Amino acid sequence: MGALLAVEGLELAYGDVAACRDISFEVAAGEIVTLIGANGAGKSTTLRGVAGAMRPRRGRILFRGEDVTRMRSHERLLAGIALVPEGRRVFPFLSVRENLEMGGFRHRGDKAKVNALIERMMDTFPRLRERAGQRAGTLSGGEQQMLALSRALMSEPVLLCLDEPSLGLAPIIVQEIFRSIVAINRAGTSVLLVEQNARYALETAHRGYVMQTGTIIAHDTCAALKQDERVKEAYLGRK
Amino acid sequence: MTDLLLLFTQQTINGIYLGCLYVLVALGLTLIYGVMNQINFAHADFVTVGAFAAFFVATRWATKWLGLPDTTGYLLSIVAALGAGALLGLVVNAAVFAPLRNRGDELRPLIATIGVSVLLENGQLALFGPIPFQFDSPFAQHTIRLGRIFFSQQSVLVVIVAALAIGGLYAFMKFTFLGKALRAVSQDRETAGLMGINENFLIALTIVIASALAGMAGALLGPVIVLTPFAGASVIVKAFAIVIIGGFGNMEGTIIAGILVGIIEAFTVQYLGSGVIDLVVFVLLLVMLVVRPTGLIAERREENV
Ligand SMILES: Nc1ncnc2c1ncn2[C@@H]1O[C@H](COP(=O)(O)OP(=O)(O)OP(=O)(O)O)[C@@H](O)[C@H]1O
Ligand SMILES: [Mg+2]
Repeated sequence: MGALLAVEGLELAYGDVAACRDISFEVAAGEIVTLIGANGAGKSTTLRGVAGAMRPRRGRILFRGEDVTRMRSHERLLAGIALVPEGRRVFPFLSVRENLEMGGFRHRGDKAKVNALIERMMDTFPRLRERAGQRAGTLSGGEQQMLALSRALMSEPVLLCLDEPSLGLAPIIVQEIFRSIVAINRAGTSVLLVEQNARYALETAHRGYVMQTGTIIAHDTCAALKQDERVKEAYLGRK
Repeated sequence: MTDLLLLFTQQTINGIYLGCLYVLVALGLTLIYGVMNQINFAHADFVTVGAFAAFFVATRWATKWLGLPDTTGYLLSIVAALGAGALLGLVVNAAVFAPLRNRGDELRPLIATIGVSVLLENGQLALFGPIPFQFDSPFAQHTIRLGRIFFSQQSVLVVIVAALAIGGLYAFMKFTFLGKALRAVSQDRETAGLMGINENFLIALTIVIASALAGMAGALLGPVIVLTPFAGASVIVKAFAIVIIGGFGNMEGTIIAGILVGIIEAFTVQYLGSGVIDLVVFVLLLVMLVVRPTGLIAERREENV
């Protein structure tokens, strides 16, 4: 039995310029794996490649043993991969509720299920219930992040990919978001987490990969990475 | 004084009727722009195809062959034109737009719409020739009188059909999963894909809806325009102006702008003569571009569809 997600020699490019080269990593079932690295290292690009928003130039992506490399993003979602994109990307002119419905688009034939899922999301983040009819573009950053996370969960993913869920949020909200990530994982969803905030990421995840200028330069358990001199110096701000 | 009021009411009613025709044409342009960020230069020809489809159904197939009454024939022809437009949209998308779109280039699909336009115009020219067809609506002869205000049954029919189409479209966008997905695609296509929404399917659906509306508009316009293979051109320029005035890609703006342009046209004809209509519309367009470049409904300027 292989890993849930296995990325092998992935190369992704914008136009002719390669943003990621020879990326290989794995996520096992039930695991939280983090990708850390400086700005422009290629973390978001890698996640977009995993979720199918970008076609790889080279390499393979295996998900549950199946080759999904050539699948488009909507097919990958059906396969079980959901992405909370960088910058949240809520649909600004849809209401909060409609955004959630779009997250549950795959269940559109089953209204009762969609409504039950929406109820569950609103129980987790009561703020979303208060704002249900409001246009998502008018939400605060933290509320938008809760919405983006809930929207991704509406598809009941097997693997949840998160791109910088803490970006621009107050510490209290960051803690709330991370608590829910752990809870989601405990409930059986595997998580691939990209974070600027390496401290939080390494506290939350089981294993981590370190990216630098488009390649992976190190990987280990988070406990070990926290002790790694390069990681400490570059990302944890300690000497 | 009351005469003035009467005239005012009469021209407003005429204007609403005209505006409904324009809205049906302009909505398709707006929908396609909103969802795909693309201008469809073949839209006028979809109107023409609808007009010809309606012409043949109304004056030949339904009445001569099936022996239906004129009125039923014309009503049937509206449905037929809707279907013809939808079918044409489906085929053109599958054959031309979809393959080009997947190449990920913006200019090629745009130029392809011009190609489709040339193809449709010359195809119809070969089939129907350059001589205008006489397409009369049986409803145009019957006048309804309310006090001293007159309007034809045709104009009532046009307003009803347009209201049904606009209402149906609105309900679709607002209340169905697919309609909401369409709005999601127009707001953020990549993220919509990440939600499991097949954007290519929704783009195809958008084109089909837009073309169906254009075809139906053709059936309603047929009796009032000079029906030749180039007939669509006579309304498309105004439709483009309406789309811009309404704020590119904004459905509500397009509806309001369309009715507005219809009313302005009615009054222009009354006071200045029909020769200056286009001039007046484009002066309005220029004023709008200067005063309010984001369109009528500026507050929602970023909303597409
Ligand atoms: N849309 C784009 N077009 C062209 N180049 C891009 C695009 N998006 C990203 N890049 C380039 O690809 C490289 C990797 O970017 P990416 O967004 O994946 O980095 P990142 O690790 O997520 O950075 P950050 O921490 O700032 O989010 C960068 O050099 C960036 O300039
Ligand atoms: Mg990033």
